Amino acid sequence: MKKLLFFKKLKRIQGPILLFILLLSGFNALAQNKAINGKVSGEDGLGLPGVSVKVKGTTIGTLTDGSGRYKISVPPTGTLEFSYLGYTTSELPIGSDNIYNITLAATTKQLNEVTVVSIGYGNSKKTDLTGSISSINAATIAKVPVTTVEQALQGRAAGVQVTNNDASPGGNVTVLVRGTGSLASGGNNPLYIVDGYPFQGGINNINPSDIASIDVLKDASATAIYGIRAANGVVIINTKRGRKDGVQISVDAYSAFQSKPKEYKVLNAFDWGTLANQVAAADLQHNFTELPIWKTPSALTNADWQNAVYRVGQTQNYSLAIRGGNEKVQSAVSFGFYDQKGIVLGSYFKRLTLGVNLDYQAKSWLKSATNVKYTYQDANNPFGTGSLVQLSQLVPTLDSGNKVTNLIKDNKGNYGFYNPQNTYVAKYGNPVFTIEQNQYQNITNFLLANSSLEATIFDGLKVRTNAGVNLSQYSGSFYQPQDDRSDQQYGLGGATQNAFYSQHLYNSFEWLWENTLSYDKQFGKHAINFIAGVSAQKTTNDFMGGSGIPPNSSIRDLSQVSNLKLDGYNSSGGPGNGQTITTLESQFARLTYKYGDKYLITGTVRRDGSSKFDVGHQYGVFPTGAVAWKAKEENFLKDVNWLNDLKFRGSYGKVGNQGPIGLYQYQAAFSTGSAPATSGNLGYPFGKNGSGNGTYQPGDAEAQPANPNLRWETDYQTDIGMDAAFLKGELNVTVDYYHRKSKDFLLNLAAPAQSGHLSLTQNVGSMLNTGLEFALNYNHQVNKDFHFGTALTLSFIKNKLTSLISGANFVTNFGGLSVAGIGWSTFTETNIGQPVGEFYGYKTNGIFQTQAQIDALNATAAAKNPSNPYYQFAATAPGDRYFVDTKGDGQVTTNSQVSLGSPIPKFFGGLNLDFSYKNWDFNAYFYGVYGNKILNYEESSLESFQNRSFVGVENVSQDYFKNRWTSTNPSNKYAQAKYNDDAVGSNVPSDRWIEDGSFLKLKNLTIGYTIPTDVTKKLFVKKIRIYGATQNLFTITKYSGLDPEIGLQNGNATQNGVDSGTYPSSKYYTIGLNLTF
Amino acid sequence: MKILTYKIAILALLVCLFMPISCTKSFLTQTNTFQSTAAGTFTTSSSVVGLVNAIYDSYQNADLLKKSMWYYANFQTHDWFNYGADIVWNNYQINSNFGALSTFWNNGYIAIARANAAFGIIATAKAQGVVTPALADRLTGEAYFLRGMTYYYLAGAFGGVPLELNAITSGLTPRSTQDQVFTQVVADMQKAEGLLLSKTTLPASELGRATKGAAYGYEGAAQMWLKNYAAALTAFNNPELTANYHLLPNFVTVHEFDHQNNDESLFEIQFDVQGSQSWDGGWQNGGEVAWIDDFSWPEEVDNFGYDYGNPGLYLSYQPGDTRKLVTIIGPGDSSLSPGIIKRGGIRSYPEVISGFAANNPKYIGSDGKIINTVGTLTNPWYGVSDQLRSGYYCAKKWRDPTLTGNSGNQVIFGSQNQILLRYAEILLDRAECKIHTGDVAGAMADIALVRNRAFGGTAPAVMQDGANYDGSPSTPITDPMQMVLSEYRHELTGEYSLFFNLRRAGPGVAAAFIHNAYGTDGTSTPQPNPAPGPTHDGKAHGVWRTALPAGRDLLPIPQVAIGLNPNLTQNPGY
Repeated sequence: MKKLLFFKKLKRIQGPILLFILLLSGFNALAQNKAINGKVSGEDGLGLPGVSVKVKGTTIGTLTDGSGRYKISVPPTGTLEFSYLGYTTSELPIGSDNIYNITLAATTKQLNEVTVVSIGYGNSKKTDLTGSISSINAATIAKVPVTTVEQALQGRAAGVQVTNNDASPGGNVTVLVRGTGSLASGGNNPLYIVDGYPFQGGINNINPSDIASIDVLKDASATAIYGIRAANGVVIINTKRGRKDGVQISVDAYSAFQSKPKEYKVLNAFDWGTLANQVAAADLQHNFTELPIWKTPSALTNADWQNAVYRVGQTQNYSLAIRGGNEKVQSAVSFGFYDQKGIVLGSYFKRLTLGVNLDYQAKSWLKSATNVKYTYQDANNPFGTGSLVQLSQLVPTLDSGNKVTNLIKDNKGNYGFYNPQNTYVAKYGNPVFTIEQNQYQNITNFLLANSSLEATIFDGLKVRTNAGVNLSQYSGSFYQPQDDRSDQQYGLGGATQNAFYSQHLYNSFEWLWENTLSYDKQFGKHAINFIAGVSAQKTTNDFMGGSGIPPNSSIRDLSQVSNLKLDGYNSSGGPGNGQTITTLESQFARLTYKYGDKYLITGTVRRDGSSKFDVGHQYGVFPTGAVAWKAKEENFLKDVNWLNDLKFRGSYGKVGNQGPIGLYQYQAAFSTGSAPATSGNLGYPFGKNGSGNGTYQPGDAEAQPANPNLRWETDYQTDIGMDAAFLKGELNVTVDYYHRKSKDFLLNLAAPAQSGHLSLTQNVGSMLNTGLEFALNYNHQVNKDFHFGTALTLSFIKNKLTSLISGANFVTNFGGLSVAGIGWSTFTETNIGQPVGEFYGYKTNGIFQTQAQIDALNATAAAKNPSNPYYQFAATAPGDRYFVDTKGDGQVTTNSQVSLGSPIPKFFGGLNLDFSYKNWDFNAYFYGVYGNKILNYEESSLESFQNRSFVGVENVSQDYFKNRWTSTNPSNKYAQAKYNDDAVGSNVPSDRWIEDGSFLKLKNLTIGYTIPTDVTKKLFVKKIRIYGATQNLFTITKYSGLDPEIGLQNGNATQNGVDSGTYPSSKYYTIGLNLTF
Repeated sequence: MKILTYKIAILALLVCLFMPISCTKSFLTQTNTFQSTAAGTFTTSSSVVGLVNAIYDSYQNADLLKKSMWYYANFQTHDWFNYGADIVWNNYQINSNFGALSTFWNNGYIAIARANAAFGIIATAKAQGVVTPALADRLTGEAYFLRGMTYYYLAGAFGGVPLELNAITSGLTPRSTQDQVFTQVVADMQKAEGLLLSKTTLPASELGRATKGAAYGYEGAAQMWLKNYAAALTAFNNPELTANYHLLPNFVTVHEFDHQNNDESLFEIQFDVQGSQSWDGGWQNGGEVAWIDDFSWPEEVDNFGYDYGNPGLYLSYQPGDTRKLVTIIGPGDSSLSPGIIKRGGIRSYPEVISGFAANNPKYIGSDGKIINTVGTLTNPWYGVSDQLRSGYYCAKKWRDPTLTGNSGNQVIFGSQNQILLRYAEILLDRAECKIHTGDVAGAMADIALVRNRAFGGTAPAVMQDGANYDGSPSTPITDPMQMVLSEYRHELTGEYSLFFNLRRAGPGVAAAFIHNAYGTDGTSTPQPNPAPGPTHDGKAHGVWRTALPAGRDLLPIPQVAIGLNPNLTQNPGY
């Protein structure tokens, strides 16, 4: 009732306001002409924006605004002509009235072509685009229940590769627009613009239910309006706004169960004990000593680690939105709650979102729009990617460890642990104990608010100011209790592990202020659309944090810990204790000229000044140009009925990427080095006399050299595209070819010592991405009851490094991927002329079967190289892996390593199928990649009995156990099990672990039913839809691991596609409800 | 009125439009509050001093001092050999990938860059009154000295190297000629001479810093590389040298642990033990902080050991030369180091004590008691793990009584300074210059100063080696230049100068001198000791006789450095 009152009140004041507007708008009435106004609506009563309103036979004309309203000064007589693509052109004679409202009828063909696309600082009709932009609407997003916006993009936009790096709650997603453009860590993230507010980084704080549209700007011409942040593409997200035609309340809810993931088939305690005995017996050097109890495998108690840590996951999601308003005020209020309990013990993601969008037409010439979004996030993932490989490695029995229990956890809450006196398992912990005993907090509050004011100076000329703030507040802590169980039970003295407490606070405050002047006008056959603006953005980050040993289990106060260690700053962005400020100041302009609705030309330029660079080197200018030819409008095609639309596009330009560049890297920094007693100190003792000690005097030297020429990474991109429509506009096809050259990656590479530094951070190298993108949309209303639709996107991509720095032909993987083991520090090499992040290692030739075979190879090796007379290793024996001498020098050395394939797919794409029949709707969505390789580190671990990184033993797979090489089972695939595996290197990076990573996944399958309106009416509900959905129902792949969908780890292109025990995906079963009031 | 409102509103928006443009210039210039900038750092005199301390610090590196400079000065002469991973030095097979050469190159150029960076900062600090003019001069002088000295050693070992003289450089400069580099050394030292403190005015608390005298010493040495012998003599004769430095009366004390920074030493690299002296301390931590003299000891004493001597060097000392047993020590010899004797002698080392307790014959002296000598005449110390050392060891590097080596409580890394240049070398340099300038009598007088001290008062009138390398009788040395070279060897071997000085003497001089001293030939593997004596058993005990190949008197430019600077060319012969 209260809501109704509110609208009644609004109605009451509407009249005077309108009158006021009319009075105000009267100012520009010229002596001869009169000012008229009106509204152009579609058949649904909604205002049509961008309708051309002209006085027939003159150059007098205007366009309708966002709500379909127009104002125009016209001669006393004449005819008004209203034209809009996809609608029948209509006319009204000018009479004595001052208000001319009209409803336009849609032409049946090309209805779906009237899409308006966000192009950054403005919109464009899709048909008038000159750049390459992929758009996704709310209906498409709603089809698959996703956690984050990025996931909603997967497979929907050609040229945009979205990979779930792992399936952890909250989403760990990589988005690559047109390939890898940067070698730097985190250098490939696109820029996101949410309701006009730009920011870089993940955007899992946006509720996907709130999104009205996503437009992905891909080519340089489209992205250039965002200059120095545009090289990796721009994703423009607009959230749902209020309506002018009353109120709509919608409630969306779903609940999902997530099945336990597929598990690796590893040995149980009995088999493992058997294997340990066999290895111990075969180990003549006695490198490894068993626990006595292992010698009786049948007596061992099983510890199934995967079963203990994996669980059934649960997700609940609720969204409530009220969207409504009238001609003057429209508001959208939304509330969302998402709660996911992950399939790995201890993992969860909770998100609460609140949003308000308010549009207010204050005067006929003045309007404002305000957007406010608040998000609360609480997430945790204590045992995820990088740690999960442990589950298949841990020895499957805890016998002879904890004297209280040998179970992972008994029903009294006691946890088992490994025998602390046995070197080979002592270093292992019980992950269940760790997850359950440690206490975590990861809470983030986000606030994004911006407000704009737009005035129309005269017809077509608008001035707009937009100001916003973006706040983020993170509070994290971690507590690990002291663990002295081995002391209590074994009297080993001291704590196995001290208690530990850490606490971190990060605050980020950012403001943005942008002002634009735009002019949009048609003069006969000429139409221009111009926008120019200025922008300033300032980000202030504050970091605080530290860690130490708390005095007891209840203190959570850093001032009371011992061994307090405050967080240290690193130049790539913290954390530390202090404040950083980043600023960006920009000017930009875009001009589109259209002639006769056939020929379009767009020029865009942005000049960005960034505080990341030195004075005098702060500004970059990024110009681009594009042309388009609407061939269908030519006379010779106008009457070709089978072709409903044809347009060709071409663009070229330059855009920048400052994302991976840290602060103050241009500046010389001095340091006193490390502590006096340690290496790396810069001081020196003086005053020493005879045998007496001197006095250490500290030193100071340049730790980071000045690099005033430091600059952004630059992309030069060419795009040639075509849009076509067939079958009365039901079939739309878009094809784009692009050539993207990226250069000047900011890398820290070895430098000549004469420069005074052994490594320098500098702009080096270049890379080329070329690709072909293909998008197809087909929608067909077969009859009143049956609708069919399909959408297909396909993206083909080729990537190669084209240059590096003098003296270097390649870079190896850099970044912190946790793959342990001999030889695993290098697993990729990016060579000039080859794709980024190619796997690198040894080629294999099966397994050595006989000593004679090895002796013969050693003899050849000895002849060629007397100082090292071995083909592989001195210790190589039958049953060890046989590597290929690729260089033909008679030996396998580190030089024998070669490229083993690329993690970059040859193509990827998505296929969406929609049917609806009467009240039933059906959606199937497939996503697939083809032609990429995966480096299966997990498999190498499953074939390693020796622990990968330290003294110890680990579990292996059943496959390996049964099929491994033994003197009686001459396998040519599985090496023998031995303790000193490191000495023979059977598990180093090699083609044994390279697998085809192609897959096709049924990402989603939904069946929905909308309850007939005659039923819902009785319930005072407009619409009720219930649905059931399942995600990841099946994956077609040859990949032997748990999930072939593996992306860039830590946003680093040099460590792509490595399966290091990622958080696995599993099937979701969802039941949902959509209600509209 | 309403039109006015509209216009005001529009005007206000238009004004807004340009406001972000008019942001102050400083909007894009943010202050780095996490890293120390030059402006923020060098606001106190101690921080400016720190800038120069860091140049000295680049020499606290074992790979640079020991595995590059010391190896070059000594292994190249065949007086000493390596046991272990670096045996390629023994037959001149060192290649451009030898890791320590990169350290030599890298630390050298980092020292040079630190000096280049210091000049401007010191000048600014001086102008701003942060440091007094006197301190600024001293610091600038030290930076010039250290830059010049670094170029001296780089050019001495590699030949011409790139000259980097500016604070900002891409590091892609090509090599200059050897003469150009030594000309720069002269220039740097001459500037330093005018700016540094005299040894007489250097406060005791600053002992270890470069002095005017040291600068004259290096200037003279550099002039000799340029064959400007007269100019060299002028430098050597400067009172800063002649009045402030002198030979210690007893040769043995020059290298004693309790005589560090003594009056004979012109410049030495300072070390100071802090933290662990075991494996986790100096060496594995980058070789900084502490020093590693016990790598030159017998394995029988320190349970490792990597350098050992040539029996030919032992034989070559003229009878009565007190330098012999405090330079090279062999079977049956006790340590004559007062410091080691005070600690209890060789018999006081844990490895010796436990070996004797275990009745290991290696540790039983000829008198049946616990051994106090480097092996015995009948049972030389060839090494424990195999028998591939010569039985002779470097007594100059066995002076720190606090060390135990890799045994007992593992006091491996010590604090003994490393003398790079001392007054005896200046006297011998001066003698060489005098020969070149025709003053042979003056040369003989300078040589006599050194020899008289060596012989405990008066040296024999005739200079003659004790015996040839093969034990055959030697002949008197009469050629003045050969006399200087022989004295370089007997005075300076086992230190940081010898091969540098031999190469400096001219093309082919070093190869001929070594050939003469050891009968070098075409062999490239260890040869049995030909001379009669305790280690003359017909078996090879790690003594190489490989002749110095042409071009191998220079070290190769590190391959890594060439990779990173394609403008560098490799030395011929590599």
